[in-house]
Amino acid sequence: MQTVTKSACDSCEYSNTSGLKKLGINTDDTDFVVALAGNPNTGKSTVFNALTGLRQHTGNWPGKTVTRAEGGYSFNEKKYKLVDLPGTYSLLSTSQDEEVARSFILFGKPDVTVIVVDASRLERNLNLVLQILEITNKAVLCLNLMDEAKRMEIEIDDRTLARDLGIPVIPTSARSKVGIQELISTIHKVATGEIICKPHRIKNVPKQINNAIEKLCVEIEKEYPNIPNSRWIALRLLDGDERIIEAVKTGEFITE
Amino acid sequence: MASPITYLLVFTAVIILLVVLFYPKGGIYWRLKNSFKNDSKTLIEDILKKLYHAEDGGNSLSTNDIISSTNIRPKKIIETIAQMEANQLINFNNGTIKLTENGMDYALRIIRVHRLWEKYLSEKTGFDKKDWHDIAEKMEHKLNTKQAKELATNLGNPRFDPHGDPIPTEFGEIEAIQGKPMPVFKEGTIGRIVHIEDEPDIIYQQILAEDLHIGSHVHIVENNEKRIVFHSEGEEYVLAPIVANNITILQLLKDEILEENTFRLSSLKENESAKIIGISNECRGEMRRRLLDLGFVLNTTIELDLISPMNNPRSYLVRNTAIAIRNEQAKFILIEKIKNHANSN
Amino acid sequence: MKTNKILNISNDLRWQIGDGFHDKLTEGIYSDAAQIAQNSVFKKGATKHFRFDRVLDKIVTSKIWGFPIMILILSVVLWLTIIGANYPSGLLSQLLLDTIHPWLKETTISIGFPIWLAGFLFDGVYLALAWVIAVMLPPMAIFFPLFTLLEDFGYLPRAAFNLDNLFKKSGAHGKQALTMSMGFGCNAAGVVATRIIDSPRERLIAIITNNFSLCNGRWPTQILIASIFIGAMVPKGFAGALSTLSVITIALLGVFFTFAVSYFLSKTLLKGEVSSFTLELPPYRPPVFWKTIYTSLIDRTLIVLWRACVFAAPAGAVIWLIANISIGNITIAHWMIEHLNGFGFLIGLNGVILLAYIVAIPANEIVIPTILMLTVMSVSISGVGEGNGVMFELESATATGEILRAGGWTLLTAVNLMLFSLLHNPCSTTIYTIYKETKSVKWTVIASVLPLIIGFVVCFIVAQVWRILV
Repeated sequence: MQTVTKSACDSCEYSNTSGLKKLGINTDDTDFVVALAGNPNTGKSTVFNALTGLRQHTGNWPGKTVTRAEGGYSFNEKKYKLVDLPGTYSLLSTSQDEEVARSFILFGKPDVTVIVVDASRLERNLNLVLQILEITNKAVLCLNLMDEAKRMEIEIDDRTLARDLGIPVIPTSARSKVGIQELISTIHKVATGEIICKPHRIKNVPKQINNAIEKLCVEIEKEYPNIPNSRWIALRLLDGDERIIEAVKTGEFITE
Repeated sequence: MASPITYLLVFTAVIILLVVLFYPKGGIYWRLKNSFKNDSKTLIEDILKKLYHAEDGGNSLSTNDIISSTNIRPKKIIETIAQMEANQLINFNNGTIKLTENGMDYALRIIRVHRLWEKYLSEKTGFDKKDWHDIAEKMEHKLNTKQAKELATNLGNPRFDPHGDPIPTEFGEIEAIQGKPMPVFKEGTIGRIVHIEDEPDIIYQQILAEDLHIGSHVHIVENNEKRIVFHSEGEEYVLAPIVANNITILQLLKDEILEENTFRLSSLKENESAKIIGISNECRGEMRRRLLDLGFVLNTTIELDLISPMNNPRSYLVRNTAIAIRNEQAKFILIEKIKNHANSN
Repeated sequence: MKTNKILNISNDLRWQIGDGFHDKLTEGIYSDAAQIAQNSVFKKGATKHFRFDRVLDKIVTSKIWGFPIMILILSVVLWLTIIGANYPSGLLSQLLLDTIHPWLKETTISIGFPIWLAGFLFDGVYLALAWVIAVMLPPMAIFFPLFTLLEDFGYLPRAAFNLDNLFKKSGAHGKQALTMSMGFGCNAAGVVATRIIDSPRERLIAIITNNFSLCNGRWPTQILIASIFIGAMVPKGFAGALSTLSVITIALLGVFFTFAVSYFLSKTLLKGEVSSFTLELPPYRPPVFWKTIYTSLIDRTLIVLWRACVFAAPAGAVIWLIANISIGNITIAHWMIEHLNGFGFLIGLNGVILLAYIVAIPANEIVIPTILMLTVMSVSISGVGEGNGVMFELESATATGEILRAGGWTLLTAVNLMLFSLLHNPCSTTIYTIYKETKSVKWTVIASVLPLIIGFVVCFIVAQVWRILV
């Protein structure tokens, strides 16, 4: 009898090869997969270009990248694959863009999710950030457009923000490549486990809904112990997300 | 070669023929299709529904009432009613028809599918409000119990359809509509619209034209035989009693009554600011979600930013971002104006 | 199954919570967001930058200046494109058509290529490619960067804001104004641009009607035919003005059809598709000039050009083959022209034009060269043209006009060609793009066939009425 030996990274903690392959991402030759999420109009594509050197078009438009753009870079002898997700305001709706983005983060399990936000309009952008932090434990907040915020005389205490959100926060101005090096090294630290995130979980949920979520979480965790985002799955089930219902039926979450 | 006039005549004839055949609803093709479809099952179900609605309203129907309310051949109806009696769906009582327990169950099942489908249309498709009823009329004969259950599960087992009518459960239980028709209430009453009847079509169209929303609070200021005048969300409405009769109101308890400072966002003027107090129930599905996602949520401060050259759409400042929505959407967003606006200079 | 238990419980809970789940959750998230933002964001004083944005916004969306500014910008962009493209287009066609083409043919024949192979490769495939590049590249290389600069600056969402009410009346989205303008450059690019429309119904409408924007590949045809036939009706001094006016009329007719078909679609086929309107007006941002030029060239121009080339090459081959392969004693082209003549006459065109539109489906740019080649071939004019299956164009419009008149063209043929050039199926690049964007055979077929039917009907009516009146 012959056992097929798994390649080193198939079994390593940080990889989700099968999930990613299903989503059409080629993970050969890649050590870490990084997803790039964010609201439209936050300079997400500029960050993507600054990281990869690719010349993806970046328009001053809400909703530019509908198809996924991919690129790569190396850091500390590790190869990173960067996946640019569609820019969305939220992950809770039925639109195609949002479906693509949330499925990628949930089922693709990227090693790190970089969330790009517009520093001058932080509060609005946090809506998406808080949703993503329900799905994944490994995230970096890229506080982009700092130059614009400065012009508008807005100051942001990034340490407090990092503490409140429980993830690293890196101020950047991607257009002039300020802060990109720091972003790259922080991604590295999160990917390798040097930084462990303790992401914020949404607190102001009405009691009735919170009770329902907790009840459902217990059941989900009974079925899938070790699942990191049972709360998100509960939220989606309560919203009637057909993709998640299907996944529960087929047991897709057991690919751990 | 034939003359151009001949060609044009042939062409016109072809076009006229196509129009006559396929004109939406009235076309011969559709009528033929309908008359084939109008088999006895559909007819039985339609009669059951009529009987249910009549009994629900405390009336009773005779065979003649049913014949006069449709344009189907009397002979066919008489045959069908006889068949229904044989199947123990109905029985006769002093010349009027009564639903048996079986008949009642059957009728509720049809009504369940109808209302579920209206709910589905309102949440998941872009069909206009005025089309829901007709589409649901067709679908109610098509879905079986199992499909209806799947649909209900998908929609989260809703309890009310978009008109405010209760949806029967799969076991045939149905909640009673609370509230009474608007003309019943005295002047000075403050209430909430809980139901808008979508039949007959002529009256429903008039209510739609008034742009009244289910869930809106109303304050009746005048009520007599000629007209009913009431205030709702910062506007004044005048309706004929026969129209108002199709609007069901639930009188509000004292602590439910908000200050009369509720307006629609569409009435916000430049240099005014306001606080959002909710989105009307009439704004549904994807549109509602999108507005919420963009930050049109409870207690958000909002200002009018820009008015486009043709007055519509308008952009509003919400959480530091200018977001343009159409006035038709802004009507669904309820606000409370903030007085003493600081930014008036 | 245990998993069913999860679903059963969740169904139960959903029923208990009722309708407001999404509302309450979103409210919860936003109030968390507000708390967090309050802890870490500090605003100092009034914001000057914001004031500048507002002043600019007030002007570009004002009742008085909003529309004039928009029309001015669009005219400048189109003018720069059409005028500016002339010179590089001329250079390219001199280089690719007049210099490289004969050289390629001579060289290969001299090293022993059989004549038919050289003909097939260079008269067929190469010429079609060269034509597409020479006519298509310069205007796109000017139009797209200009458009992209406006986009990066943030002006375009304001234009959508200004125009939304017009588009709403025909059931469409304000952003369709932009995909429509983009269509004036290239329909395939216009279809890709509909991605900015986030409402499914309105996006489909924009995709299906984009073809009614007269694209770069069709402007030259319109201008040429208008100056030969319509300009010639009046004294020389007015010829230019009248032919320009007639081309603009055709473009406006396209806009009219955009609205009419949008209205029709939103009331019938697309009634049930989900629709929701919101439009964010982002802050103005200074575009990074050179980078924008560079990326728009790579992103839009070259991608579209590449797709067009992929389709044009086989079309060139087909054009050469039908003109050179004979069945019995006539070529396939002859045979097809004869059979298409009857229907062509009925709609005020002729077999040559219809055949040209069939074989030149990959790119509107090669319609006129193909028509000329086929006309010369079918009426056997000697001394002009380059031989069977070799597309060509003439330096002077007068000479072109002589060939066309010899081919039996009248003023009616010209008018109907201009109409048909506006109202026919999209080019195959666009059809392919529509399929890629919608991933639906149904919508692709509708988008392709609908304009063709409209074209046939319009040309037919014009032809018959013309023949009665004239």
